[in-house]
Amino acid sequence: MVIPVFDEEQSLPQLQRQIAEHVGGMGIPWEVVYVDDHSADGSYRVLLDLHAADPHVRVVRLRRNFGQTAALAAGFETSRGAIVVTMDADLQNDPADVPALVAELQRGHDLVVGWRRRRRDGFWLRRLPSRLANRLIAAFTGAHVHDTGCTLKAFRRELLENLPIYAEQHRFLPVLAMARGARISELEVNHRPRLFGRSKYGLSRAVRVLGDLLTVKMIASFSRAPLRYFALLATPFLLATLLLALEVAWRLGTPSLRDNWGQAALLTFMLLSMACAYLLMLGLLAELAIKVSRLHRPDSLPLRSVPRP
Amino acid sequence: MSETVIQTPLVGEEPVGAPRPEVTIVVPVRDERAQVRRVLDALGAELDRLGRSWEALLVYDGVAGKVWETGLELQAESDQQVRTIALHKRFGDAVCLTSAFQHARGAVILTSPQYVQVDLRELGRLFERLDDGAHLVTSWRNPRVDARLNRLQSAAFNWLLRWLVGSPFHDLNCRLRLIRRELLEELTIYGSMSRFLPAIAQHQGYRVDEVALRHVQELGGPSLFAPGAYMRRGLDILGLMFLTKFTHKPLRFFGALGGLSMGLGGLLAAIQVGQWATSPLFLLGVLFFVLGVQIVCIGLVGEIIIFTQARNVREYKIERIHD
Repeated sequence: MVIPVFDEEQSLPQLQRQIAEHVGGMGIPWEVVYVDDHSADGSYRVLLDLHAADPHVRVVRLRRNFGQTAALAAGFETSRGAIVVTMDADLQNDPADVPALVAELQRGHDLVVGWRRRRRDGFWLRRLPSRLANRLIAAFTGAHVHDTGCTLKAFRRELLENLPIYAEQHRFLPVLAMARGARISELEVNHRPRLFGRSKYGLSRAVRVLGDLLTVKMIASFSRAPLRYFALLATPFLLATLLLALEVAWRLGTPSLRDNWGQAALLTFMLLSMACAYLLMLGLLAELAIKVSRLHRPDSLPLRSVPRP
Repeated sequence: MSETVIQTPLVGEEPVGAPRPEVTIVVPVRDERAQVRRVLDALGAELDRLGRSWEALLVYDGVAGKVWETGLELQAESDQQVRTIALHKRFGDAVCLTSAFQHARGAVILTSPQYVQVDLRELGRLFERLDDGAHLVTSWRNPRVDARLNRLQSAAFNWLLRWLVGSPFHDLNCRLRLIRRELLEELTIYGSMSRFLPAIAQHQGYRVDEVALRHVQELGGPSLFAPGAYMRRGLDILGLMFLTKFTHKPLRFFGALGGLSMGLGGLLAAIQVGQWATSPLFLLGVLFFVLGVQIVCIGLVGEIIIFTQARNVREYKIERIHD
């Protein structure tokens, strides 16, 4: 279990009790890695107490507040299990769901995503933006997951080893995983109202999610052929350039090249053709970056799976 | 999504303890038109005749339906001589080849297209070259029997490659190839590289031979492609040219282009300097100059990338070490 913690001192003891009950009750070896994202309250002290009381508890403390994705990555790195389950520390996820997630994973999936079907959060500030974000992600990337923002997820270790996790991309893990051919499944999970503390999410995240969406889309679908990607970007410019070239050729040698339209066409033609050339060069640069990266080493091959019928 | 998972082995079970075969046939299956059974029968019969032991790996590149069932049938009939690998969506030839290679047990990989392109009774001539020491033997459909348009396209493609990359091969679109294991162990293949593998391998110092084989009528060979396909091929060649010649010196490439653009722009602007109000050429000059500066800067970024990552991409391949 990997659990990022930020200012949740009141929830932690209860969370640990529930985890010990449900995860410990599965009868397989387990550990909990709490990643304290440099909480300002007493969370760290509470975690150390838990660590002293139970050998299953491991605690990682980050040097400053790095954010949830970083905390997750640190937890992945520290964890040792063949199956990694992530979950929020605020008690809104229910540890009782973990056995079901693990069972689903063992049925032959690489990633099981929780779906908070009945969310206990405010509609306007939390549920609506989240639903929009998920729709958008699904439409853009073809990853049809209802609830990408749900932290309760179960991963097979092999999948994690090869997923690049950085920036604020934990929401996109299913998308990235799918691009690598992972078998993804979804399971309805319980969602409980918040008991202690306050939410750390806000509307400003929605804007950043949009930006990340573009990045992830690009990385997920085009890292295999970046030059083609940039050429695709340049295509509208190229078409416009060709049209304008016709227009300019038509006016060439006649005084109409000197009127307002002629001048505008000429100028736009020059600018756009250069934009095309520039994009192509950037594409070559991207090819270079991809070639020297470790992205295509054999150990980062897509996972094998059965084709969809 | 979970209910669509089929309970079949993802990779056919690897025979344990059986002697390693000499040849592994790899057939990437790309679409419904694949004639897996015909290809496999012909190749298998010919390899048996040549007295070379073989196994086959069928890689389904996100293809399901009838062809996939054929693959499973072949696998079931063959007692572990034929195995299937299924990718759940399309990943392209390079991934097919690499993932097949991870499961291949033979010392030689024989890649074949999903339908018969050449007279397979001449397969022995490919093996002769391999036994002679070649690392990769590629085939050349010659003389060709298909439409003139196809031949013209193919010639243009291969000529462009010769001109830009210096590839001496006549037919990189014929995918019947013999590849030694060591070559695949040492080269990382991704993107559109598998098509150009002979050219890339030769550039890396491997011995690559080309053998002309009799072309047979290909089924419903497509003659005209969508414009996008031609563009992609062109881009592939451009990318290949850049990566084979300039990976370790990006600034040379971008510097030359950028410098050219800067020089041209500067010259134009200088000539037209008095008439900037009336002449678009002055503006063109300025634009070219700015573009040139930008391109040179791209080259600088390229140098940074290479400088920090050069360890990952060795420029050389060691043939032998004498200790």
